[in-house]
Amino acid sequence: MRIAGNATLHAPVEAVYAALRDPRVLVRTIPGCERLEQLGEDAYAMTVTAGVASVRGTYAGDVRLTDQRAPHGFVLRASGSGAPGTVSADVTVELSPGSDGTTELSYDADAVVGGMIGGVGQRLLAGVAKRTAGEFFTAVDEVLAGAGAEEVVAEPGAPLTATGVAGAPARPDTGGAGPRVHTAPARPAAGIPGGEFAAGVVLGAAAALLGALVGGYLARRAARPRPRRSGRR
Amino acid sequence: MTTRTMGEPIPRREDPRLVAGDGRFLDDLGAGALAAAFVRSPHAAARVVDVDVSAALEVDGLVAIYTYEDLEGPVAEPLPLLIPHPRLHAPKTGYPLANGVVRHVGEPVAMVVARDRYVAEDACERIVVAYEPLAPVVGLDAAVAAERTVHDDVADNVAARMVQEHGDARAAVAAAPHRLALDLAIERSASTPLEGRGVYARWDAADRSLRVYSSTQTSTSVRFALAVKLGVPVDRVEVVAPDVGGGFGVKIMHPWPEEVLVPWAAIRLGREVKWAEDRREHFVASAHERGQRHHVEVGFDDDGRLLGLDVRFVHDNGAYTPYGIIVPIITATQLLGPYKPGAYRVEFRSLYTNTVIVTPYRGAGRPQGAFAMERTLDAIAGYLGIDRARVREANFIQPDEMPYDHHLIFQDGRPLIYDSGDYPATLDKVKKLVGWDEFEAFRAEARRDGRRVGIGVACYVEGTGVGPYEGAHVRVETDGSVVVATGLTTQGQGHQTVFAQVAAEALGVPVERVTVVTGDTRRFKYAVGTFASRAAVMSGNAVALAAGKVRAKALRIAAEALEADPDDLEVADGAVRVKGAPEREIDLGTVAVLANPLRYAFDEQARLATQFVVGRGVDAPPVAEDDEPGLEATDFYSPVRSTFANGAHAAVVETDPDTAEVRILRYCVVHDCGTLINPRIVEGQIHGGVAQGVGGALYERMVYDENGQLLNASFMDFLMPYASEVPKVEIDHLETPSPLNPLGVKGAGEAGTIPAAAALAAAISDAEGFFVDRMPLSPSELWALRERHARKEEG
Repeated sequence: MRIAGNATLHAPVEAVYAALRDPRVLVRTIPGCERLEQLGEDAYAMTVTAGVASVRGTYAGDVRLTDQRAPHGFVLRASGSGAPGTVSADVTVELSPGSDGTTELSYDADAVVGGMIGGVGQRLLAGVAKRTAGEFFTAVDEVLAGAGAEEVVAEPGAPLTATGVAGAPARPDTGGAGPRVHTAPARPAAGIPGGEFAAGVVLGAAAALLGALVGGYLARRAARPRPRRSGRR
Repeated sequence: MTTRTMGEPIPRREDPRLVAGDGRFLDDLGAGALAAAFVRSPHAAARVVDVDVSAALEVDGLVAIYTYEDLEGPVAEPLPLLIPHPRLHAPKTGYPLANGVVRHVGEPVAMVVARDRYVAEDACERIVVAYEPLAPVVGLDAAVAAERTVHDDVADNVAARMVQEHGDARAAVAAAPHRLALDLAIERSASTPLEGRGVYARWDAADRSLRVYSSTQTSTSVRFALAVKLGVPVDRVEVVAPDVGGGFGVKIMHPWPEEVLVPWAAIRLGREVKWAEDRREHFVASAHERGQRHHVEVGFDDDGRLLGLDVRFVHDNGAYTPYGIIVPIITATQLLGPYKPGAYRVEFRSLYTNTVIVTPYRGAGRPQGAFAMERTLDAIAGYLGIDRARVREANFIQPDEMPYDHHLIFQDGRPLIYDSGDYPATLDKVKKLVGWDEFEAFRAEARRDGRRVGIGVACYVEGTGVGPYEGAHVRVETDGSVVVATGLTTQGQGHQTVFAQVAAEALGVPVERVTVVTGDTRRFKYAVGTFASRAAVMSGNAVALAAGKVRAKALRIAAEALEADPDDLEVADGAVRVKGAPEREIDLGTVAVLANPLRYAFDEQARLATQFVVGRGVDAPPVAEDDEPGLEATDFYSPVRSTFANGAHAAVVETDPDTAEVRILRYCVVHDCGTLINPRIVEGQIHGGVAQGVGGALYERMVYDENGQLLNASFMDFLMPYASEVPKVEIDHLETPSPLNPLGVKGAGEAGTIPAAAALAAAISDAEGFFVDRMPLSPSELWALRERHARKEEG
């Protein structure tokens, strides 16, 4: 199954690239993402609760970032499985400067969907995938704009967990010690810690698209309030 | 003493269950299944540009949405051409879901599966399909003119062209003392059974087996079709026809797109899926029939005897031809009726239109043929000033001319040879029944009261019991009950009664001990289906043959047990006994135990059986080489060709001088279907057939506008007769048994429908004094005909 799309993000290319590779951003913008754990360089394990229409469930998967050409693009390879089925995808993400300091992002995913979720029909799957991708990029855009900052702290080495509300009190980033720490949502550009994540892999759009591919239906419903789309229902 | 059951009008054994609401129809099954619904084309002809499902994604309870792109393998190929024919030179079938183009309103474009039908329809509503409408071809005129085509590669819209002839009809017509030419038109109609189509599928992933319930007239064929289309081995597929609320022909068509897609979705989703169509779907997406236009040229002598008959007609087959050209072939051959045509030539073209497909509807082309022939004979009678019954009598095939070979090929691919029938006696009986010779007195009396009345008669012949075969399995259980299974299906014909009667009579058991299963491939796998008035002939004889085998085996075993000669034994009331010594008897159930040399005694029956000694001693195997355990047998009946039933209808009508409404005062039927298994059921078939015949004569038509929209796709606008419009049917019988099968039966299912329009048109013509050349005839059409006739007379 091929899914492709575009998004406009209101930040320069470098900021967008960094945000998409920042697990602290991703854990709260990927629809349905519940857990994120760094496995190694350029590799993450993730748990997402998602669904396509009535076919819902929890997926455990992993994501790798490859073919990096900072800040212009990368390829994400993702796979996940859960009760409703299996997904594997290769997603090519391209960033290019837009007007007025924005970024034009395009994604092109080649996905194989199996199991029950693979049985629901291509248009339904593709429709849900694109919609969820759109929601993801909107959320990333909000983060880039500095909205909704929450700070959550985890033990060094502990996986990142999604938050929807205020968590534990903030603690300075330990830095350097190994995997995963939540930080506050990235401030535009300069606020992104370069160091430990620079060479790291980030789920980026791969995780986003993993979540997108299996839909964000349930998660979207449970998550933050969002503006009502006009014209529906 | 066994009570005879063959020929007895016993009450139907399935009725108490059905009448009390204990029927299990398709929609009664599958309570937990997901529901399917379809997005169907609103255009008669269009390209499908895009299917946008985004608005449907939010519907709570949605499970899946499928379009053509989701289909793979055999499912993505066009649906099967069931009955190919060399003369069908441009056959076309559709795809289960539209593959880029739609060719009639109602063609399925997308399938939605959801928690229930309400949710599924909500999702369907939100799916936006972008069409590029094309100009459709609607009606036979447009199809013939071929300014536009239904299929790009069929430039003249002609799917098939066929000629059958015997002798030189055109020369005979040209050389005849008298000649007439007629143009006749029959409108589209449809079966409209009370219960629509439905499919319920269960996929067992552990077992990798598929069970499909379908409201079909042929479960065995659906089974083969699904095995091929879905890639499941045949022995892992079972198809069951549950109680079916009427078929009347439309449910012989298979596999429907829905019949393929619902099981396909069940396999993909690993869930049970069910679809039961609603009335509008049935109108626009199932099948119609009857639409034809005939041009007849006939040459005859001073007595009205036919010398040459040259018929050309066009047949509207809708957008696709999955059922081939069976219907126009039947029209072409059965048009001859009980008459000798002299030289005969019939030519038809079957044409595509952007309307739903055409498959058989009770009568299956015969009503059109009977209409053409009977109107022609009436026209001859009018031309010569001869009594209309006399003209028919002059043309009848006489009983001593049987078997009569028309030198044509019938719908089963076999020679059209009438085997038996007494046509003069049939007409005579109906004349007496209706009071043909006394009618003028009645008309004079009516005229004095200012009333306009008329009488008409129409005769027909019906090829029934078409092959290739049917089979039956009969088994006597150890408790003495008898279980009968046959592969064809039931839609209300009373098969559970008539086949029980046949088996009970053949075996010598009370009919109450017999149960019958039909239409279940788990119970009987080889069958053709229920259509063309064939079930009583085919399965009736198969049951008789199988039961006969069981009886012979029972006698053989009982003879050993009773130490008697098989010829000295008789079977009565479920027991085998020595003739003249009734105390020496053995119950059939016990014989069934003895037929199975099993070591274990499960029950009292088995224990009791040990008092008898059967078997061939310790030096021979317990089950002989050519034998099997159990008191059961399977047999098949396969006829050399169809057997021909016949009949005649007579109608007396009154037409209102002001409103042109038609009222049927009397309706008489004389029919001959050979041996009657159950006269009550045959009369029921006649009643139902007459009701549909009256509908076809006066009410039923499919109204398509020039855009291919069906304007009357509901019972509000599609007129069917109520009980107030269907006359009391007066019936008389003749029985000329068929020489072609052991029971001597002929089919009776369609008899009531076939000549009805002809008889009523004849009666209306007689009342009005001008020729009626079309069916149906509504009051406004009759009124218009009156006006036209009055103007012609003046001008």
